[in-house]
Amino acid sequence: QHGRVKVKTTAQQEEEKRKEREKKLQIYVAARDACFTKRKDGVFDDEALQLTQQLLSSNPDFATLWNYRREILLHLETVRNQDEVQKIYEAELSFLESCLKVNPKSYGSWHHRGWVSARLPRPDWARELSLCDRCLSLDDRNFHCWDYRRMVVKMSGVPVKQELDFTDRLIGSNFSNYSSWHYRSTLLPLLHPQAPDTPSQCGNPPPSASPQTHFHRVCEEQLLKEYELVQNAFFTDPNDQSAWFYYRWLLGRAERDEMISCVYVSREEERVAVAFSRPVNAQSVGLLLILDGQPQRVEWQSVHPHFKNSPVWICSLPPGTISDVANEHNLTVHWTEKHSHRDCALYTGRSESWCRDTATDLELFRSELSVEKTSVLQSELQSVRQLQELEPLNKWCLLTIILLMRALDPLGYEKETLAHFQTLKDVDSMRSAYYSDLCSKFMIENTILKMEYAEVRVFSISDRKLTTLCHLDQLLLVTHINLSSNQLQQLPPQFAMLQCLEVRIGTLFFLLFFINLNSEISTLADLQPLASCPKLKRLDLRGNPITQTTNAEAELAGLLPSVTDLLL
Amino acid sequence: LSKCVVTCFQEYTLSEYLRMSGIYWGLTVMDLMGQLQRMNRQEIIDFIKACQHECGGISASIGHDPHLLYTLSAVQILCLYDSLDAIDVEKVVDYVKGLQQEDGSFAGDKWGEIDTRFSFCAVATLALLGKMDTINVDKAVEFVLSCMNFDGGFGCRPGSESHAGQIYCCTGFLSLTGQLHQLNADLLGWWLCERQLPSGGLNGRPEKLPDVCYSWWVLASLKIIGRIHWIDKAKLRRFILACQDEETGGFADRPGDMVDPFHTLFGVAGLSLLGDEQIKAVNPVLCMPEDVLQRIGLQPDLLS
Ligand SMILES: [Zn+2]
Repeated sequence: QHGRVKVKTTAQQEEEKRKEREKKLQIYVAARDACFTKRKDGVFDDEALQLTQQLLSSNPDFATLWNYRREILLHLETVRNQDEVQKIYEAELSFLESCLKVNPKSYGSWHHRGWVSARLPRPDWARELSLCDRCLSLDDRNFHCWDYRRMVVKMSGVPVKQELDFTDRLIGSNFSNYSSWHYRSTLLPLLHPQAPDTPSQCGNPPPSASPQTHFHRVCEEQLLKEYELVQNAFFTDPNDQSAWFYYRWLLGRAERDEMISCVYVSREEERVAVAFSRPVNAQSVGLLLILDGQPQRVEWQSVHPHFKNSPVWICSLPPGTISDVANEHNLTVHWTEKHSHRDCALYTGRSESWCRDTATDLELFRSELSVEKTSVLQSELQSVRQLQELEPLNKWCLLTIILLMRALDPLGYEKETLAHFQTLKDVDSMRSAYYSDLCSKFMIENTILKMEYAEVRVFSISDRKLTTLCHLDQLLLVTHINLSSNQLQQLPPQFAMLQCLEVRIGTLFFLLFFINLNSEISTLADLQPLASCPKLKRLDLRGNPITQTTNAEAELAGLLPSVTDLLL
Repeated sequence: LSKCVVTCFQEYTLSEYLRMSGIYWGLTVMDLMGQLQRMNRQEIIDFIKACQHECGGISASIGHDPHLLYTLSAVQILCLYDSLDAIDVEKVVDYVKGLQQEDGSFAGDKWGEIDTRFSFCAVATLALLGKMDTINVDKAVEFVLSCMNFDGGFGCRPGSESHAGQIYCCTGFLSLTGQLHQLNADLLGWWLCERQLPSGGLNGRPEKLPDVCYSWWVLASLKIIGRIHWIDKAKLRRFILACQDEETGGFADRPGDMVDPFHTLFGVAGLSLLGDEQIKAVNPVLCMPEDVLQRIGLQPDLLS
């Protein structure tokens, strides 16, 4: 049903075609009925093989016929000797080869080939691998063939190195080959994994490589070689996206360790908030709270009912347990499933306390390459900049420069980054919303870094054309937030992660048409996430359309009863 | 447009091996256009009944073997008609459950082909029947996640290249199992929005031609991960409308090609996701009218 061009025809041509179709259909129906009757009668003979072969060679998606063939073949296995079975299956492979020549993208034919290869008494995997070679030389993007190749490689134990060399050859003859780059991304971490304890060294390939290992990082030595290969590719054809996608992956970072990143306790409210490095379901991961050596029976709640998995969870302590300011308390939260825990001491006279790793401690928003290799990233940046001089409006180049700048020095390059984003939105306007959101994300990251260097709990990001809010789990301790003069259209439910928030100012709906049939109610509903910020006292909404609605003040008072100081 | 669907129903001998899905495509188009009553409801329900096998699975047509693909299509049709009691639901559940493998994956039928499409078919069928807890959901999720790639997308099996159709199945799967937070939505969203070509149409993989059906798969995936605004909606709308055949009203894969019910559904559903007010709202995960899912009480997760 793909790529069939519609042609205008005369009535006579139409009639001739119809007759021809009818004739073909009659033959088809007769053969199909004969097959179905034979199968119903439990006949598994050579004639049935011939009939199904006749039908399948032009209708390879007729799955039931492949099933019937397999039943016949399984039956023949029980009545013929091994040499005969070998011959029958070899004939089946030849038949399949002719099917694949006509239709190289049929799920049914490829699955059947895998089934036959696995049942062959004396399999010839070398032959299968060379079939893949030939097929991929005709169409190097045929994912059915690539998948079959991966199966052959697995069944016959082809060394990973040999497959990597194969992608070298394919990429060498044509850089624009996304399938080969993809294959490399799965092979490299198997062949050159990063050693677990010394991130800059190359480790030994594990004896048995499971598919999941492709999440592991590639060791640095090999990474450097890959950079060179990719550079060759994008210098040759700067508009070929395959190499750029692959390069962005190479520049990426490893997944963060799963751990408890922050424990916060409030004496006044007698509650504990816990932040994790990734969203979890605290009700099912075995989270244990110890207060002064005593395990506590508490109920963990997600910050927002919408999130069954959340990076921030809260619980209330039994009334009176920590309310006396004269007492000192020690808390420990254990994440039993991951053997991770975090302690937090609440000293005498203090109303709150926390213990955490900051985003700067964790280099959260940096590239994961080790520090001594900054020079490598610097030279990568230089090369891509050279390319940009030749191709000033190449969007792939611009985006990559931004990513490299962030890996090197996110704050130092902020101004240049913003300028590049502006160019990107101009040259690739179809995706301008993507660039706006990505730019917002980077500006938020920078603001978090600045906030942490300054050791304050004030998150202020105004007049930055923000289109989205993210990383809100990093703002658990923030007491004051200023989002004025941005282009945010709504508050995400994640806003409820700001458990310490006291003051919020800012224009959300700045200069933007808010599309909704009933904007009065829905804009109010969009402030709903604020209802989950327990300490919020002061809210400045001046400049938002919501202030124009009748009864705004009364309705907001109902929605956010804790807010005592409301500016509209 | 309905003319296209009706003619497609008359000439279908050659495609009987996927007839159940063909009926689902056609009926969903009709329902989205508010024309479901024009189809012969009883005939279709009787046909589905006749396609359920002893094992509980449902086949594409009479005389064909049962398969997860057509089991899902049949359950979807019965949901449109609010007639799930026409088949033996318990047996369908047993059939689906029996196809789950040790590693959590699902085979399409007893012959063992493994594909993330079948993981989607399995959980979508069970979600529509309200029986998700009958399978090992944790293992099923583990398998789908093992198919995630360097670009944030998904392929058929672990190690397979990312493909928009497969990404639709896997994001839909993660939505139905409440695991969307496991995605790298920013990375995946980038790959997906890069599928839009200057014509406004979307392709299914880098360096491929645009196509109405891929437009749906990419668009629905973007909707599921909360990033539908990352593409140029007006341009996509123009591309989809250019694929509509003036004569029959149906849609083709690309402008000027032959129309078929498959591309007609995905053209109409795509227009609905883009906010076309003449079409009922479509659910991006199950590709069914939202009002039908509301009746069932099924509301798959979407990222915000
Ligand atoms: Zn298509």
